[in-house]
Amino acid sequence: MITRTAFAAVLFAAAGAAAAADLTVEVADIRVQSGQLKLAVVDSADGWDGKAKAVAGEALTPTGATATFRFKDLPPGTYAVQVMHDENGNGKLDTNFVGMPTEGYGFSNNPRVMRKPTWDEARFELGAYGTTVAVQLR
Amino acid sequence: MNRRRFLRDLLSGAAALACTPALLRAATGNDVATGFATGLRRHPWMAGWKNMDAESLGPTAATLRGRWPKGLAGTLYRNGPARFERDGFRYSHWFDGDGMVHAWRVGERGVSHRARMVATPKYTREQAAGRFLYPAVGTTVPDARAIRNNDDANVANTSVAVIGGRLFALWEGGSAFELEPDSLVTRGPTTWREDLALAPFSAHPLRDRDGSWWNFGSISLLGGAGLLVWHLGADGRLLGATQLATEQHGYLHSFAMTDRHLVFMLMPFRFSEAGAFFERMHFAPDLPCRVAVVPKSAPDTARWFDVDFAAVYHFGDAFERDGEIHVRAVRHTDPAGASSPMAATMRGEREPAPTSGQLRTLRLDLRSGRARWQTHADHVMEFPLFDPRTPGDRPARLYAPTAVTPDVPYFNAVMSFDPERDRRQLHRYGDRVLAEEHVFVPRPGSRKPGQGWLVGTLLDADRGRSGLAVLDAEHVDDGPLAEAWLPYTFPLGFHGAFAGV
Repeated sequence: MITRTAFAAVLFAAAGAAAAADLTVEVADIRVQSGQLKLAVVDSADGWDGKAKAVAGEALTPTGATATFRFKDLPPGTYAVQVMHDENGNGKLDTNFVGMPTEGYGFSNNPRVMRKPTWDEARFELGAYGTTVAVQLR
Repeated sequence: MNRRRFLRDLLSGAAALACTPALLRAATGNDVATGFATGLRRHPWMAGWKNMDAESLGPTAATLRGRWPKGLAGTLYRNGPARFERDGFRYSHWFDGDGMVHAWRVGERGVSHRARMVATPKYTREQAAGRFLYPAVGTTVPDARAIRNNDDANVANTSVAVIGGRLFALWEGGSAFELEPDSLVTRGPTTWREDLALAPFSAHPLRDRDGSWWNFGSISLLGGAGLLVWHLGADGRLLGATQLATEQHGYLHSFAMTDRHLVFMLMPFRFSEAGAFFERMHFAPDLPCRVAVVPKSAPDTARWFDVDFAAVYHFGDAFERDGEIHVRAVRHTDPAGASSPMAATMRGEREPAPTSGQLRTLRLDLRSGRARWQTHADHVMEFPLFDPRTPGDRPARLYAPTAVTPDVPYFNAVMSFDPERDRRQLHRYGDRVLAEEHVFVPRPGSRKPGQGWLVGTLLDADRGRSGLAVLDAEHVDDGPLAEAWLPYTFPLGFHGAFAGV
């Protein structure tokens, strides 16, 4: 189990301590302990669709079947999380000739769809007292 | 349409559950399990669809009856769905069970049997969890997890192939799983070329006269378009993987080939909204089947034919004569039954005796471009096999399990069938003995097509035994030359392959 503090806190320092919350993401079902687990936090549909920057991001090397990411001092609001497991460390989520992923990935809310979930399917509320989100890698 | 269709369908059943009372679904699965347990007590032959808890069986020496034929030595590998139940939940579709591969080692010194579950990622994770976790093709599994890709749902339960000395367990929606030929321990999914990871490698590869192998994978089931045509060398190395475009979607389970052509028949279907793949797929008998005749020399090209709808899982031989291709096919007349065979038995309920599954010949006129079905005698049959040494311009004799008594709604006899002359030889194993596919094994040193043995598996639940019979393919009505019986039973399988020593 590895815990890291995200750099995102810096971006939102202006939000002030009173309006800042911690987001904890617990990632489960990590199938192999190699490569990099990469997590992005977004706060809008545009962010989800890659049209706006992620508000936080972090990468770590998995050492077990689970890993925990912690992002401190985010403004309360609506967020969504994407995780990918770059198992061979080549910097991308590998796919086959029809685009089927061969490496692990997951999303907040764990939507049971065989496509990238929509922002609405993946978004969750981060309250003033923080939230823990469980992402099951598939 | 079709984008990621197969996987979306695999998942949509689970997604639909979000707005369905989960308990209701769970109770349905539990009802199926309870119903089957009751049915099995009343009808011992339902052991053909019982659940297999064990991860492996044997090795066990079989009790031999009769005289084992000199020269018949090797291994009959077979595969079939076996793990149907977990945590009180039972699949309601026969195709859903996780695959168990059997190895019957036969020779003059005796017959032994061993079997092992294929350790797919699905089986391995569900074994650890103690419950079904992933979507199935024919049953809506409550609270199923999202899958990474098609191989997360791969049950490797349909067939086996021995290619270049390597043993593979096959399904139709994903990778071939390689097994260690002696221990049957799973080596893992096969990637023939890196970009083709996960590409479907169907359950009925066909061996060409030069020793190479042809197969297909239905990419449209995966979200792409068309068919992938595989060609492997006799040594198992990839010679080619060609994408063949198809104009519309269609379901196909197997294919046929002549010396020059591959023949793919796409069966039209419509999708309903909710459920697993086979719950949603409804054959469309009002639409024609589209038939692709593909030259082996240019597998990315096809000549297309339309023919009246037929539900076909399995083809026999195919030959070319006078500008016409003849393809033998087992046609099912009940499209709904065809998409879930033995559905009542899976629930433990009495099944009507089979009336569907008759041999027809698909005739494709290469000059006129017309296709039609030729009728033969209406013997109920399935799993037809033949001697591939039959010349490419002549019909082969077919060997197939057949039904002769309504007492048990399955096959209990084997026949050798010449559809041209409507001549058949038949051996009945007994009213309550279930007969499976009979594999043709050429007699070593023989050259004439048909000279060899039929090796077929049996389930005699009344006597608590699974077994194997050997018949002279030229004298099927003489009955078995030898039988080998085990002190236990296991569920029926689908298809096998014989590897000589």
